Amino acid sequence: MADERKYYLTKERLIRLKAEYRHLNKIKASKTKGEFPRFLHSEDLNSEYLSFYEDLGFLETRLAELKTIIRDSELIKIPSKGERNIVNLGATVLVEVDGQTDEFTILGSLEANPTLGKISNESPVGKAILGHRVGEEIFISSPVEVVYKIKKIRYIS
Amino acid sequence: MRNILNFLLDVGKLKGKKRRGWLLHDIPKSESTAEHIFRMAILSWILGRKKNQLNLERILKIALIHDICEVHTKDETPYDPLLPKDKKGIKEVLKKWPRFTTGLKKKKTINKYKREARALNKLISKLPSDLKAEIKNLWIDFEKGLTPEGRFVKQADKAENFLQGIEYWKDYGKIQYKLWKRWSREIFDDPILIDFIHSIDKKFFRKKSRPK
Repeated sequence: MADERKYYLTKERLIRLKAEYRHLNKIKASKTKGEFPRFLHSEDLNSEYLSFYEDLGFLETRLAELKTIIRDSELIKIPSKGERNIVNLGATVLVEVDGQTDEFTILGSLEANPTLGKISNESPVGKAILGHRVGEEIFISSPVEVVYKIKKIRYIS
Repeated sequence: MRNILNFLLDVGKLKGKKRRGWLLHDIPKSESTAEHIFRMAILSWILGRKKNQLNLERILKIALIHDICEVHTKDETPYDPLLPKDKKGIKEVLKKWPRFTTGLKKKKTINKYKREARALNKLISKLPSDLKAEIKNLWIDFEKGLTPEGRFVKQADKAENFLQGIEYWKDYGKIQYKLWKRWSREIFDDPILIDFIHSIDKKFFRKKSRPK
């Protein structure tokens, strides 16, 4: 069955993924010719990351996935001025929750990294907060109720 | 074979290495890193089965190696930079969710990655090159989420941690369960794991689930 999933990505991430795709295709071409790309011996910070692709199986898996992601991606765009008071994908939201303030950015699943304050639009909080405005309260229903009050919404271009 | 034996002896040290997060919470007889890995691997396998098209062998391998770098480095907690030395101060810090600037979050993440990569390199340095490369690749996948398997296990790790936290809350009441609940609503986006978290909620938070 075809995966009909949409991958919501920021422009920066899409550019990086496209660059990675081109790069990996070059590695694959070199490997197919029996060459060993010189940069795989590099001592720079990315050398560990590149070693991931020394394995042709991983390389092909990643290439196939990148192809799907790029094909099915949808760019996260900054909304028009009149709509920037609404939480949409790409919004950085300042909230008050349990007496603490917190700030996070709502992104697509691939870019989500809660440790860095990037919350997935498919998480319960991400889903619930989308479409709301400053001053609104969002009740996350669970056996323990948590209320998020939106204090500020901003979009970083 | 001697290098493999030495590697296994090193990994065996995780059987007795207590997880720092629970020590901070003053949990009696808290779990070790190896105990966390054990249940996390089972959780990843069983819940991973529910997801179509995922490579279960890869899932299990990632789960098994995801924390082995802790043989040579500390396991970190989200509270680390905020922790004072005295127990009373630690208790106060644990009452609130740790907040950091975006810059500090990035710095912490990069430093943790570098520290753990160094520790892993040290641990696997004398293994046969193909095995070394495989372990390294699996770990990078876990850290960077390069495959659907890596991304799934990353969240499964948090799910096991959440389950353990709620169990300790039920047994000892020393966990700020409201903070944990809030955290769980922000970090999981995999539908199977969200469903799993709902099951934990149903079991532990209905009616008389007050801690002792």
